[in-house]
Amino acid sequence: MALNGAEVDDFSWEPPTEAETKVLQARRERQDRISRLMGDYLLRGYRMLGETCSECGTILLQDKQRKVYCVACQELDSDVDKDNPALNAQAALSQAREHQLASASEPPSGSRSAPQPPVPRPEHCEGAAAGLKAAQGPAPPAAVPANADALACTQTALLQKLGWASVELSSSNSLETSIQLCSLIRACTEALQSLWRLQH
Amino acid sequence: MAAAGSVKAALQVAEVLESIVSKCVGPGGQQVLCTKSTGEVLLSRDGGRLLQALHVEHPIARLVVECVSSHLKKTGDGAKTFIIMLCHLLRELDAPTDQKKDCLAAGNTQAHGQHWKNCCQWKCISRALVTFQAQILDSFMDQCLSRHFLSIFSSSTKEKILCRSSIELLLDAYFSGRVGKNNHTFISQLMCDYLFKCMACNDGIEDFFEMVDIYFVELNVGVAGFPVSDSRIVAGLVLHRDFSVYCPADGDIRTVTVSGTIPPPFSTSGSEFVLHSEAQFQASQFWIMEKTKTIMKYLQSQNVKLLLSSVKQPDLVIYYAELNGISVVEYLSSEEISLIQRITGLSPDVPPQSYSQHEIFNIALVRFCKPLILKSKRYVHLGLISTCLFIPHCLVLCGPVQGLVEQHENALHGAFKMLRQLFKDHDLSYMAQSGHPNSTSSPLIDKSKESDPLPEVGNNSMRRPCEGTVVKDKDGLKSVQTHLIAHSNWEMPSIELETASPCPTPKMTPRTTYQTDNTMKHLSQDNTRIIDYHEPLMESKLTANSTTENPKIEMSPKNVQVTRNTGKGSILPVSFKSRESYYYSSSLSAGCVLPVGGNFEILFHYYLLNYAKKCQQSEETAVSMILANALLGVPKILYKYKKGSYSFPQIYVRTLYALQTNRPIVSTQTGLESVAGKYQLLSSVLQCLTKILTIDLVINIKRQPQIVYDEDSEDEL
Repeated sequence: MALNGAEVDDFSWEPPTEAETKVLQARRERQDRISRLMGDYLLRGYRMLGETCSECGTILLQDKQRKVYCVACQELDSDVDKDNPALNAQAALSQAREHQLASASEPPSGSRSAPQPPVPRPEHCEGAAAGLKAAQGPAPPAAVPANADALACTQTALLQKLGWASVELSSSNSLETSIQLCSLIRACTEALQSLWRLQH
Repeated sequence: MAAAGSVKAALQVAEVLESIVSKCVGPGGQQVLCTKSTGEVLLSRDGGRLLQALHVEHPIARLVVECVSSHLKKTGDGAKTFIIMLCHLLRELDAPTDQKKDCLAAGNTQAHGQHWKNCCQWKCISRALVTFQAQILDSFMDQCLSRHFLSIFSSSTKEKILCRSSIELLLDAYFSGRVGKNNHTFISQLMCDYLFKCMACNDGIEDFFEMVDIYFVELNVGVAGFPVSDSRIVAGLVLHRDFSVYCPADGDIRTVTVSGTIPPPFSTSGSEFVLHSEAQFQASQFWIMEKTKTIMKYLQSQNVKLLLSSVKQPDLVIYYAELNGISVVEYLSSEEISLIQRITGLSPDVPPQSYSQHEIFNIALVRFCKPLILKSKRYVHLGLISTCLFIPHCLVLCGPVQGLVEQHENALHGAFKMLRQLFKDHDLSYMAQSGHPNSTSSPLIDKSKESDPLPEVGNNSMRRPCEGTVVKDKDGLKSVQTHLIAHSNWEMPSIELETASPCPTPKMTPRTTYQTDNTMKHLSQDNTRIIDYHEPLMESKLTANSTTENPKIEMSPKNVQVTRNTGKGSILPVSFKSRESYYYSSSLSAGCVLPVGGNFEILFHYYLLNYAKKCQQSEETAVSMILANALLGVPKILYKYKKGSYSFPQIYVRTLYALQTNRPIVSTQTGLESVAGKYQLLSSVLQCLTKILTIDLVINIKRQPQIVYDEDSEDEL
């Protein structure tokens, strides 16, 4: 927007990359969810305060017992921990699967620089996380420090799942289930590959 | 604690409010259940009520709710649309800076400086918005959209006659977005019946609606405990009081209104009443009693049978009234008294103490006066004889609970406000570039609102197409010259179309046929008034009345040649050598309507996009784009749950295609909405937005700052 005249940033503005678009989208969806929750609470008689949360910047609510409540921190994030791949093996698996689907649908694009914007990481949103890694290899999130314990944990979980999937595959009769199990196995192996690559 | 970053905060607030309001917007919206801070539960679809029931302490939220309330007080419509538009505008404004925030997020060291940089940026944006609104927005209404307008009047004759079916469509659409689905047809029918019963004639519609709007509280009675379908219209006026004394009388009853007590008071203000003994006290009391008796006897001799008082009369008066066969109603509100006086043409009160000396001039005739009992509450039912264009009728609104009755009352009141705005001419003024800076005949006008010492050109001043003297370079302009010739692009099947205009007119065929025995006339275009001035007048008017600091207009007086207007509508030849921009003044005629369903928004969006493409200045382009994109938010929400060919993308593409190729625009919904209301809503939203954008800091204070009176203030002039 050329309204501010002399802003240098304007002249260097480029359209957002796909990854950034996905980040923006994720952020917008999160914002929508927050607004919806807040609207529901307001209708229930909560009071909208004039202050914002120090952690996430969302407007605070106060219930009738005068207890202050932040919708984002207390509601959204609690069901988001289970999506964080660093903390939850299932999440890592689903993330890997999503990446796999994403890379199957998108043609591998050219060189994408690895560094992602470090701070506003919407790991909470599965879709965005998958999109971010669309062009990269199936690497775990760059911002998460390569914690050896976490990796070992993930590895165990993956191996477990692999074992379980193979058992299920041998006993399954339905075509659909078999296909899904095969894709799960492929995803597991790729995740394991990337884990090993990271370790070494 | 001070908080910064008003746009982000405002966006959060607006999104929260939008999430609440979008559930109940439009005919497909649902009732929203809200628990108020007092613990009561409110079930409503009325946006204004919902917003006020929410418990918000956030300052920006309160600002927004206040803006909505003051908008509703004036126009009666559009609370939900207001919030939706505001939210989309804020989103548009916030979006481009998202990427910037990404880049800036890494370095926080310059946060403070960046904040103030942001504030300046927002100030520039808000100034751009204000300029756009003041100078350019009206031009879209006048030049672009006016060809699409329909009129609510039917004009089989030269007069403007209200078309009942069009009013029904308008009110149907209004109430279907506001009242519950089971009741809205009934309420809109009730209101239509009421309108056509009360309106004496088609002249002075504006005064009529003004009166009903102001006195609406006195003109309706709410009764809880009955089904809604029991609501009805009663002829005459129902006073919200009971008789203190009731003496039945036949025939026309002579009535007197008083605003003070009949017996004279012991002492008037500013004087002292000194008593020295008991005897004096008794004597004065006796004197008062005698005086009262005389006055009441005099009233009886004048054959006055009804006394309407705005204060409590002492028992003595009641006693004598009963003796003399005069009915008395006390404690009437001043609004009721003034309504009675206005309807019957009574002059303001004479103090009753002077009755025996003078003739009573403010006697009104009343056809009947009797008690009316509505669910164990007694009222006074007066059959007033009207001397003005309002035939008094009262609405008795019933509902199972008080809350629903109040909601219906509010909805009806809002509808009257909306109609009042609809039937008013609204002035439009804007600046446009002329293609011929040296043309010899370019009109320069001022805002016609200003007091005009010169003979005002009548409404049909452009009746004679003024030989190319109106110079504007937008295409819609031909319609101004041939404005009497009606053309529009929403043609109804049974309409008689007067001669076609030069430009091919896109037509619209509605999906369902309207059951009209009356026709809907295409609106004759706005009346561009050309007002000419003598030289000095023009100069001073210009400098005094420019709404924005616009340095572009520079008039050199020697180049101006003005001829006095003969009053008939001939154009003054005015020549300008100096500059390119001119102010135009026009008006949005009363009775302009458009079909519902987001048509206004989509049309405006289309013309804004066109303007943005043609415009050279980057500020105006940016503002038009923001506005154009934000306007689409409303139809998007209206068509959110529709599928197939009724979904928003389909409708959007179809409408745009029709506009571009000058084909008929098909409207999928029956129902009409007032253009004036929509336009005022847009202006209100832009004003609220500029208010928000200019907030730099929010500072919480514990109590109101005290006003300090400075002794030296007179010296500081």
